[in-house]
Amino acid sequence: MFERLRGPWRVGVAEASMRPAIEPGDWLLIDPTVRRWPRPGSIVVIREPESDILAIKRVHTRPGGVVPDIQVTEPSTSEEVTVTVRLGPDEAWLVGDDPAVSIDSRRYGPVSVDRLVARAWFRYGPLGRIGRLR
Amino acid sequence: MSLLTNRLGAAVAKLAAPSVVARAHCDLPCGVYDPEQARIEAESCYKIIEKYAANEDAAYRTRAIAIKEERAELVKHHLDVLWHDYFKPEHVGTVPNLHDLFWQATKQASKVKASTDLADAKKLLDLIDDVAAAWKATGGPEKTRVVRQTA
Repeated sequence: MFERLRGPWRVGVAEASMRPAIEPGDWLLIDPTVRRWPRPGSIVVIREPESDILAIKRVHTRPGGVVPDIQVTEPSTSEEVTVTVRLGPDEAWLVGDDPAVSIDSRRYGPVSVDRLVARAWFRYGPLGRIGRLR
Repeated sequence: MSLLTNRLGAAVAKLAAPSVVARAHCDLPCGVYDPEQARIEAESCYKIIEKYAANEDAAYRTRAIAIKEERAELVKHHLDVLWHDYFKPEHVGTVPNLHDLFWQATKQASKVKASTDLADAKKLLDLIDDVAAAWKATGGPEKTRVVRQTA
């Protein structure tokens, strides 16, 4: 139960899929005590499905929600089809702020809450850009 | 004084800097993939080994070896790009031996890098042809190449 207090409480950001809100090199304060998906629009740190790297994305749709118009490749026919995804009770849909380059739920699908590491809430560096994340 | 403030600043920055990195994971793939790129480099290796065997000149042989090693390294690079960037988890359904195939092909490229045996280079070409078959079976030609102008 107290395991989450060990953090991480701060992260540095690499890569650019959260621009313009978050730039590579930003230093963020994060809250590792969160146990549930925060409301849509919140920025979260996750253990990315497939790769297990620590990644930062924005909550697009919360558990139980419906995500329409998702393009997927049907494995048996290799055809592109459009589907509607209904999220499970522990699942969120995560998207980067720069969708043209972002690797997110559109690639790896819904993300289960056991992959949620923290909620990012404040930028403490660089000096000129200190402030609450929005 | 400035030395002191610099050091102090560096110490503060070191304390403040986060030790954990979160990636705003992105890629900007051009989406063009073709095993032919790897094959051309592997064909270079094959031809260089032939020319190496037919020439006794020490300087020529040294050059041939250096160029072959460079080309074999490019084979590995092109295979790696196909493996991580083109092929997706669902392709394993179509090509069940996909990972083993790439492992064998990249290992063979390493072997060719060090070898002057034509049979090794031939085996590499065959493995790349197997990769090309996997690329075709998963719709690679239609999905990844720009259509050529027809005469």
